Amino acid sequence: MAAVAGVSITTPKVLALESPKMLQSAKFSLLNNPWKRCTEFGRGRMYVHPVAAAPEGLSEKVAESVKNAKEACSENPTDGECAAAWDEVEELSAAASHARDKKKESDPLEDYCKDNPETDECRTYDD
Amino acid sequence: MAVSTVYTVLSLNSTCSISKPTKTHLGFNQKQLVFFKKITTITTTTTRRATTVITCSAGNTVVIGLAADSGCGKSTFMRRLTSVFGGAAEPPKGGNPDSNTLISDTTTVICLDDYHSLDRTGRKEKGVTALDPRANNFDLMYEQVKAIKNGVAVEKPIYNHVTGLIDPPELIKPPKIFVIEGLHPMYDARVRELLDFSIYLDISNEVKFAWKIQRDMAERGHSLESIKASIEARKPDFDAYIDPQKQYADAVIEVLPTQLIPDDNEGKVLRVRLIMKEGVKYFNPVYLFDEGSTISWIPCGRKLTCSYPGIKFSYGPETYFGHEVSVLEMDGQFDRLDELIYVESHLSNISTKFYGEVTQQMLKHADFPGSNNGTGLFQTIVGLKIRDLYEQIVASKTGAPLEATKA
Repeated sequence: MAAVAGVSITTPKVLALESPKMLQSAKFSLLNNPWKRCTEFGRGRMYVHPVAAAPEGLSEKVAESVKNAKEACSENPTDGECAAAWDEVEELSAAASHARDKKKESDPLEDYCKDNPETDECRTYDD
Repeated sequence: MAVSTVYTVLSLNSTCSISKPTKTHLGFNQKQLVFFKKITTITTTTTRRATTVITCSAGNTVVIGLAADSGCGKSTFMRRLTSVFGGAAEPPKGGNPDSNTLISDTTTVICLDDYHSLDRTGRKEKGVTALDPRANNFDLMYEQVKAIKNGVAVEKPIYNHVTGLIDPPELIKPPKIFVIEGLHPMYDARVRELLDFSIYLDISNEVKFAWKIQRDMAERGHSLESIKASIEARKPDFDAYIDPQKQYADAVIEVLPTQLIPDDNEGKVLRVRLIMKEGVKYFNPVYLFDEGSTISWIPCGRKLTCSYPGIKFSYGPETYFGHEVSVLEMDGQFDRLDELIYVESHLSNISTKFYGEVTQQMLKHADFPGSNNGTGLFQTIVGLKIRDLYEQIVASKTGAPLEATKA
């Protein structure tokens, strides 16, 4: 269960293919029970704080949602479910594009130095 | 003692909340009145539980509503608007990384998606899109916007666009300018009453299609058909619930395909119309040359040389959904700085504080989309008009209590 939780950075792609629902529910429980984070997962392992989804994860979601929408609409095009499915595609595409823009503008060194100005890499000298 | 008298007068007029503080609400404009409850003994060294703190602001929060399709938060309009007021707007530090809120020194922008009553799975089960009013909690929206307007901080839920779930709430403190951006800012009549100014971004279908293609073709899962199907599927709900809001807006920015290039379908050159309602308090519409008359103006000529397809302006009074409006329209693109400054010097009532302010703001964000056409220009101008509106409201409010104390 701990491995499936999706906290470690190395396995998101595998998880997305196998069981997206499990990943979502694990993330869900993480978000709603933040006190469980540190103790439940990773005794003796470095805990990685779940940050906003990397664009790769989002791209997978977008592709999957398009597939689902096509399926839902092939059965009944005028149904509310069809509209809801395409609305989800739209929402995820918007989120993916925002994530792409954010990634484009952010400089990893600048981001790190904003939070940790006293470290060696971020020292500035006014001579 | 005289100072406290003034505050008491204010507290009678505006609604304030009496709360037992768990955290001190030291917000931007808040004046805190601390009352010590006198229990039977003389000593007022009572425990913290006995102090009640009334947090009131002077009621200086101006609420702006912005209606725009799909997605919100970090859009270009918001960044331009917050830049006009000064300072950069950023997501709240130390909070949920997927928060949709932007905070700067003077402005806070919240995304109305946070008031979804159904999360993504809930909507899928019911077969309802996010555009549908049934997916949104208008009661909570009204209560919280009213509280912010009266200077009370609120715990606002967060809708996570990545996971599609509703996250634990974040604290929002009343700022000077409070912008609510989303799909339904003007849908509910009670929320509409709270808005000091409202804007609707009306993108025509052809332009929307072109923009969405540019945005989504990079995604692996998308194709031209899927983008088209997505727009088509959302159209009925959009026309039924979102589109009617434009009749209530004080300003509408309408984006249409250009008329300068015949059969253009790239959507690069745009025709943008700024539709401004007449008779709105504290808002004087922008005009060209002569207010109330109909003008058609091509700035390119002997003094100014423009490249293809050039620039065309027009201005005139019209009726829009039964209201009197003034429409300022720009078709074409800016290529050079001097075109922009030339146009700015001929527009009137743009509420700039110095000559060239519009140009300066546009240059500051030259990398934003729309910086070379009417979208960027009108968004910047609307930002300046909002600043002017805010200053007028503040001036009128500080005038009132002084009169009350005199009487």
